[in-house]
Amino acid sequence: MSMVLAPPPLEGSPASSDFEHDVAIVRGRRWRINPGSLILWTLLTLLIIAPVMCFLILAVSPHVFQQGPEWFTLKYVREAFGGATRAGIVNSLWVSAVVATTAVALATMIAWLVIRTNVFGRRVWTVLTWLLLLVPTWMMTLGWGDLLQPFGVASALGVNTHYIFGEFFGPMGIVVVLTTAALPFAFFIVSAALQLMGPELEDAARVHGANRWLTLKTVLPVIAPALLGAFTVSFAETMSDFGVAFTLGYHSHFPLATFTLFSAISNFPANFSVAAVIAVVLILSTVPPILLQSRVMRKRSFAVLSGRTRVARRREFRTVARVAASAGLATIYLVALGVPVFGAVAGSFVRDLGIYSTGPIKLTLAYYRQVLHPDIVGQGLGAPLLLSNQMGLIVATLTGVVALVLARRLVVNAGGWSQRVTDIFLMGSIAVPGVVLGVGYIFFYNQPFITNHFINLYKTLPLLILALVASSLPGQTRFMAGPVSQIQPSLVEAARVHGASRLRAWRTTNLPLVSRVLLWGWLVTFTKVIAELAVAQILYPPSQEPVSVTIQAYLANNLLGDGTAMTVVTLAEMLAVIGVALLTYRLLAPKGWRRIGWSGIQS
Amino acid sequence: MEWDSVMMLNAIEASSVSFRDVRKQFANKVAIAGLSLDVEPGTFVVLLGPSGSGKTTLLRCLAGIERPTSGSIAIAGREVVGPRTMVAPEKRGVAMVFQDYSLWPHLSVRRNVEFPLGQSIRSKVDRKRKVDDLLERVGISALADNYPNQLSGGEQQRVALARALAAEVGLILFDEPLSNLDADRREQLRVEIATLTREAGSTAIYITHDQSEAFALADRIGVMNHGELIQCDTPETIYRRPVSPFVARFTGVAGELAVRVVGESEGFYEVVLEHGDGPSFRATSIERGLIGPARLMVRASGVELAPAHVVTGHPGLILDVAFTGRGYEHVVELGDGKLLRKVFSSTRFERDGAVRVCIDPQASLVFGSAKGAIK
Repeated sequence: MSMVLAPPPLEGSPASSDFEHDVAIVRGRRWRINPGSLILWTLLTLLIIAPVMCFLILAVSPHVFQQGPEWFTLKYVREAFGGATRAGIVNSLWVSAVVATTAVALATMIAWLVIRTNVFGRRVWTVLTWLLLLVPTWMMTLGWGDLLQPFGVASALGVNTHYIFGEFFGPMGIVVVLTTAALPFAFFIVSAALQLMGPELEDAARVHGANRWLTLKTVLPVIAPALLGAFTVSFAETMSDFGVAFTLGYHSHFPLATFTLFSAISNFPANFSVAAVIAVVLILSTVPPILLQSRVMRKRSFAVLSGRTRVARRREFRTVARVAASAGLATIYLVALGVPVFGAVAGSFVRDLGIYSTGPIKLTLAYYRQVLHPDIVGQGLGAPLLLSNQMGLIVATLTGVVALVLARRLVVNAGGWSQRVTDIFLMGSIAVPGVVLGVGYIFFYNQPFITNHFINLYKTLPLLILALVASSLPGQTRFMAGPVSQIQPSLVEAARVHGASRLRAWRTTNLPLVSRVLLWGWLVTFTKVIAELAVAQILYPPSQEPVSVTIQAYLANNLLGDGTAMTVVTLAEMLAVIGVALLTYRLLAPKGWRRIGWSGIQS
Repeated sequence: MEWDSVMMLNAIEASSVSFRDVRKQFANKVAIAGLSLDVEPGTFVVLLGPSGSGKTTLLRCLAGIERPTSGSIAIAGREVVGPRTMVAPEKRGVAMVFQDYSLWPHLSVRRNVEFPLGQSIRSKVDRKRKVDDLLERVGISALADNYPNQLSGGEQQRVALARALAAEVGLILFDEPLSNLDADRREQLRVEIATLTREAGSTAIYITHDQSEAFALADRIGVMNHGELIQCDTPETIYRRPVSPFVARFTGVAGELAVRVVGESEGFYEVVLEHGDGPSFRATSIERGLIGPARLMVRASGVELAPAHVVTGHPGLILDVAFTGRGYEHVVELGDGKLLRKVFSSTRFERDGAVRVCIDPQASLVFGSAKGAIK
């Protein structure tokens, strides 16, 4: 559904909540309902729980929403585990397992090189990982497709890609694209853990006679929670991905569960009950890794950020090793990001892209002219891109505020039942595919008791915006919970004791420490919303198409060049927004704020 | 600088502190078990106790960071915690030096120290002068523009001290501020804390588990265990007249011996070693009417060593000797495996050598044992 980049807040962090009253009248304190919790859970119910449950219940009780005569049946469970839907579930499970394992292994290696060694271009690799996170999977697929397909970019450049094309449009290509998509999640989780692990542990192992390998074996379990977290998130993200399933999976006849789910509701007649069964399987599949992770993480605390925090020490490679390691990283990022981006950008300039041709390569700007000044039936890029940007702005801001409140609650209530429930709920929500959420919104917000007595949002832009907030919230919360949990509560306590009000204490001590994560969280949500496909595809109101839907419509109509050019312009616009935002932060944020690194450690 | 110093000395009115039956419970664990204590304005009180004794929780309740389960707390006569009251930390008029320093990593040293000034000094020039003065007092004026991660532990704690002093409040709290420092820095900073806090005129409540730190700093020491205040008195009384074996033990004894009280004379008890030979000797106690089996706790300062040929004292055997610069500390066996540690002498007694051990009755503290020692 969305992303998680940092370790979740864990049990054992010191809690401080009661003192936050000026002069409080103490009433019966046990079982007192906290108004904040009530508001928050009401919000989460309306955003996520109710819509998803409305959909999931159809798996066994289609009559509830007039989708069949049965009040209770297992018929659709049996149906879902047969034929193409079964293949989709099985494919999703093994692909997700392979992708998560590969992504964690690769990410751990990259994170170690970037965080703990003097490899060349450390900042570059981190920035490239961010870009990898921001580029949606369907854009990646498009780039690869433009490059490798018959009469594509590579072919126009005289490279025979026949064999690779066949391999790419199958499980291998799907695993490659999904691995590159999962890589950033795993990277940021593992690198946060590596950053926080002081060099003392490695030193202790080496001093007591361990060689490099034994040292690694000794120290690695220290970041085991992060590795498990990375695996869980990568697995959940892969299971719930729709972009690859909708494009590469569909074209290569390799069904994935999210696409079979989408097919079940978009084919005629729609079979919502089978779709609901698939949704249940998708969500349940993430339970074992979540349980394992929470079991391993029990009683551990990530609260390490204080004025005394020291950065990790780097291992100094000699020149040859340094060059080799840097070359290795360059190769990984070239394959993961360079190739698809090159494919898409180059493809947008190749005339007759994907169309049989025997002549030499011909470059053209015609696609861009068409995109910016459409002269055929259909719309250009302007209105959809503007709409997506507006939605991105609203969704990213709303999500940022709610996610920060949620993240703080997770940390403040660390160890308590409410923290556990919220934590498990958020992790589970990440595994909810956008498709499920989209369909759930249709069912829930189209109910007569809602439309007649409360609000009628069905087929409106606000409903799409709400669904996008719901889709971004769980990942964004956990994304922020890591850095928030690393801030020692004593920093706020010190501010309060020295005369700062609650607001001033937060503004002067916490905000600077989370400012960078807030900014990046905002940017990630903003870009993800612009490129989001699953929810947008299901909930966009008539005549108000977001840009991702418009691009897919062009591609579906075999206007490959136009679709590619639109993708490139959209990507460039997203990067421009990121650039402007980062530059603004650099120019306006106080020096002390900028000294605080990604994980809150002073850089 | 003089002007500021004068202002600092004159402006602060030391606060009294009053705890009344304060209780704090975390789930099933009682952290503070109904503690009452009054602190006079301007006194330096050290709360001494082992880990888990509740002293940090008590300090956090006083600061407003934790809310007691029951009881009341008053600062300068104003109730800040009560059955229907919970005053926010920033409105209690306290400052605090944290164990982990709690410096804000994104603020320079100057900005950290300036923080508590809030809006109280509006003029930039005055604020700068104030902060410069404080930084000079704690000896880190050259580091004003550095950030916390560029400082050593001792320097960071100096910043934390300057920040607390900058608040100019009637009550400063210290949460084991020296526990993360090495011995040299600890000693140096301890002196500075004592001097600067007294110079500021504030009441200070300082918690530690280090008895030497407590004795060096305190006007009064409160010894805590299991959430209870066992004894609160002057350092001298705590040392000489501990009310329980725990207080005696926690404030430093050379050894514990099983003895038998055989009589009383001239305000002292006559005791003999329970399982050993040797003459009887005198010991003091706050308990009255002791007889029979008892426990003797001997302060290291009350033990003297003499050559074996001397006729007074108990026979002993030197097990270990350590040079401490100003003399020697010995470990002496009194027979039957009973040991006295840290026994000081300006002359060296060699290992495995026989000695005579003379024990000062004032430094020999006898407590009734569990088995019917009291008449």
